[in-house]
Amino acid sequence: MSMNADTMDPKVSINHLYKSYGEETAVKDFNLDIAPGEFVTLLGPSGCGKTTTLRCVAGLERPEAGEIRIGTETVVAPEKDIYLFPEHRNIGMVFQSYAVWPHMTVFDNVAYGLRVRRASGAEIKRRTMNALELVGLDQQADRFATKLSGGQRQRVALARAIVYEPEVILFDEPLSNLDAKLREQMRDEIVRLQKEVGITSIFVTHDQSEALVMSDRVVVMDKAVIQQIGDPQDIYANPVNSFVANFIGVTSLLEGKLLSRDGEVCDVEVPGANGHDGLRIQAIGGEGAQAGDKLFLSLRPEDITLHLDKPEGTGHGNVVQGNVIDTIYLGSFLEGRVRVGEHEIGIQIDHYENLTPGQPVYLSFQPEHGLCLTD
Amino acid sequence: MTTEALSPTRERSPLNNRLRAMLTQENIITLVVAIIVAGAVVVPLAVLFVSSFKVLDPLGWDTTWGFGNYVEMFTDRIIPKAFLNTLIISSGSTILATFLGVSLAWINARTNCPGRDYLEPYNLIPFFLSPFIGAIAWHNLGEPQTGLLNNWVRDIFGVDWALINIDNIYGVIWVTGIFFAPLVYLFVVGSLRRMDPSLEDSARTTGAGLIRTTMTITLPLVMPGILSGAIIVFVTSAGEFGVPFKLSAPYGWETLTTQIFSKAVGDDANHFLGAAMSMALGIITVLLIWIQQRYIAPRSFTTVTGKGFRPNVLDLGPWRWVAFGYNLMFIAVAVVLPIVCLIIVSLHPVWTGKIVWADITTINYVKTLFWWRPDAIAAATNGIVNSLILAFGGASIAMVMALVISYMIHRTKGFGVRMLDFLSVVPIGFPGIVLAMGVLVTYIQTPIYATLWILMLAYITRFFPYGQRNISSIMLAISEELDQSSRMAGASWFTTLWRITIPLLKPGLFAGWILLFIIFLRELSISIILFTTGTETLSVGVYYLTNFENEPLTAALSMAQTVLLLIAIYAFRRFAGREALTA
Repeated sequence: MSMNADTMDPKVSINHLYKSYGEETAVKDFNLDIAPGEFVTLLGPSGCGKTTTLRCVAGLERPEAGEIRIGTETVVAPEKDIYLFPEHRNIGMVFQSYAVWPHMTVFDNVAYGLRVRRASGAEIKRRTMNALELVGLDQQADRFATKLSGGQRQRVALARAIVYEPEVILFDEPLSNLDAKLREQMRDEIVRLQKEVGITSIFVTHDQSEALVMSDRVVVMDKAVIQQIGDPQDIYANPVNSFVANFIGVTSLLEGKLLSRDGEVCDVEVPGANGHDGLRIQAIGGEGAQAGDKLFLSLRPEDITLHLDKPEGTGHGNVVQGNVIDTIYLGSFLEGRVRVGEHEIGIQIDHYENLTPGQPVYLSFQPEHGLCLTD
Repeated sequence: MTTEALSPTRERSPLNNRLRAMLTQENIITLVVAIIVAGAVVVPLAVLFVSSFKVLDPLGWDTTWGFGNYVEMFTDRIIPKAFLNTLIISSGSTILATFLGVSLAWINARTNCPGRDYLEPYNLIPFFLSPFIGAIAWHNLGEPQTGLLNNWVRDIFGVDWALINIDNIYGVIWVTGIFFAPLVYLFVVGSLRRMDPSLEDSARTTGAGLIRTTMTITLPLVMPGILSGAIIVFVTSAGEFGVPFKLSAPYGWETLTTQIFSKAVGDDANHFLGAAMSMALGIITVLLIWIQQRYIAPRSFTTVTGKGFRPNVLDLGPWRWVAFGYNLMFIAVAVVLPIVCLIIVSLHPVWTGKIVWADITTINYVKTLFWWRPDAIAAATNGIVNSLILAFGGASIAMVMALVISYMIHRTKGFGVRMLDFLSVVPIGFPGIVLAMGVLVTYIQTPIYATLWILMLAYITRFFPYGQRNISSIMLAISEELDQSSRMAGASWFTTLWRITIPLLKPGLFAGWILLFIIFLRELSISIILFTTGTETLSVGVYYLTNFENEPLTAALSMAQTVLLLIAIYAFRRFAGREALTA
């Protein structure tokens, strides 16, 4: 379903967006083209500027500079003195707090956008009931919104946002008020609905698993700046820097130094401390780094193999020795931390091992599973 | 709790067991308190009801039972008109107060009007001041001949007519309207300020413009608050005595309250006819308050999700200065002008409508405040002492009572709890003057009549619910587990109350105390029915001066009361929040 934004006119185009609150820069030089029907997630920690960007698209915030186009229309361009009110942008938006109007029934909530657009009575009825059917709430049409559960309210908000078939639908952390089970259920439902209706979507979240599961493309943001744009697999497998590596999934970051490079493979020294020997590790990545440069070595727990005894023979790649710090039992697998020199490395073991704290163990990983990052 | 303390080995008959189970401390205490409160609240109202069917014979010697009083209410020359005037005044001031309150709340909560953080406290001042004093001040501003405003207009523009005439029912509507506007303001401003902004944002993104969003989303969401405020204003205006007494009754527009007053005191007093009129007024107000409590207050939408919202603020552009000017105008007419006028008038030996710099004197303050001087006016000096006693004593007793009742309602499950819950709403439904008539007919032949005690009894009975609500709102907010943890840690019930519960309730206790202190310090409509020589209160002193002395003396005592109230308001703002007011 992932479409290449270069091959057709983008549905939403954001260029050089800039927004600040007083001294504080909220969004800096944000550029993104979104293809029709694409599901794009803005992901980042709180305060990274993702919500501000979304609200600029919605027209709820006015940027200081840049340009946003929705369809063929420029909706905001401060330099050209263009600003369209939210109601003139033909968008739908789902808020974190649901924002379902408590003084209206479910039907009236959903029909609101159609009434504003002066649809005929029959049309309103038909399309509202269609939308409610789509989210599974057609039986609840006459109930007051206050009588609904959190998940149902969010469904109402969803139906309300899609019923008039807007150009783009904006999601502002819509799942973060729901409990864990419901969150997963709603997450899948939103994806299903989005594919069914084929509507262009921008989804804001701080939850990386949501972003990975739902999106065609993920935009990782930190400190008002885009860190990386890519599809989920790409972002997970090839993070461009230590922030992205750390934020997406679980990773252990070891700070080291590039010794030499042989084609793809980097020779990295991770210094030891307190008399420990430094580690010599072979890894990949680290484009642009010169010998002697500082590097971060990123290791995913699932890529590391645990050995109770020193592994014999070749083919194990890098092998390091360490001591178990602790393990956490998580049902289907164990999560553990191993001290290697002055570093902590997270591991994941899918079978039961009787590990005691302090126990000496060996870890091994292939060079292609160690990723060097330059910042 | 108490049954567990009994030794399980002790043998008892089943009947004895049942009886003992019912006679738990909780049940006994709540029942006793409920009976006491019921005695204070229900007995006067019941006696009032019964008395309204006693018809005084033409000679005034004897009474017979019957509906004569109610018949007379419709056939009397004045009372039906008074009824109508009360309706006109209440409706008019409700419309004015609602308009002012909602618009000011909106300006302060939702626009970029300059200085709005500084304006709010001043917008609320009229809520604490006495509307009776407001009426006196506005009389001196807007009386056709001697009104300060009228004379200024004549001086400046050289005209010979009066700009305004405040002495009619429109004047009453004006003064009650501006003085009760803060009530509506308080009911509305909270929900405007704390409303989840995405409720409005989602209307905008759905395609509704600003005006449509305001009309279909914002306004309906605050409507319960507006209606609640409007009903409270209507009821309070209907029970207001001081303003119509000063501005309209002397000029031929009697109201129900001024009529009840003249039936309660004076030479042609007829308590029984007064009781019937009080019943009529009370039934209207209690019905409205019941509607408000039963149907409107629960409809308040919980638009607050407990997060710190930044409400949507509307950029008014150049219009923000118009909003600013409008707000300043309100403060001017409701606070500044009345106080300035009172100060000016109080400094003249006689008031002719013009400032005479050569005559400026402090004699009026000497006569009304210096009780040791031979030329002191007893009604005024008594008033200050009595009102301070009533305010300190009454507020303290009422808050202890409120604490006990709240504690029982929220922390115990005895028999009396539901009754207490009900009883602490009832007094809100009856205007002070109605309850005072009930207290009068109940206690007139007992020794407490003609003492300060009867005033204190009536004050507390009428107003303890305000204190109780202040405590209850906090008690609902603090978890019962805090109490229970203390018990688990080994503290007794009393130690828990003293060391945990009361310290947690301190803000509410204090806010409630000052609120009652302010209410008692300015109280008029109860006092005017129950006072006798020697037990005058501050407001009764003002009434005495305006009725039997002159305007400058009245203005002097009014200023004294206003200064006391302003000090209390300062303390209230300093130590309590805005939330304490709408409780």
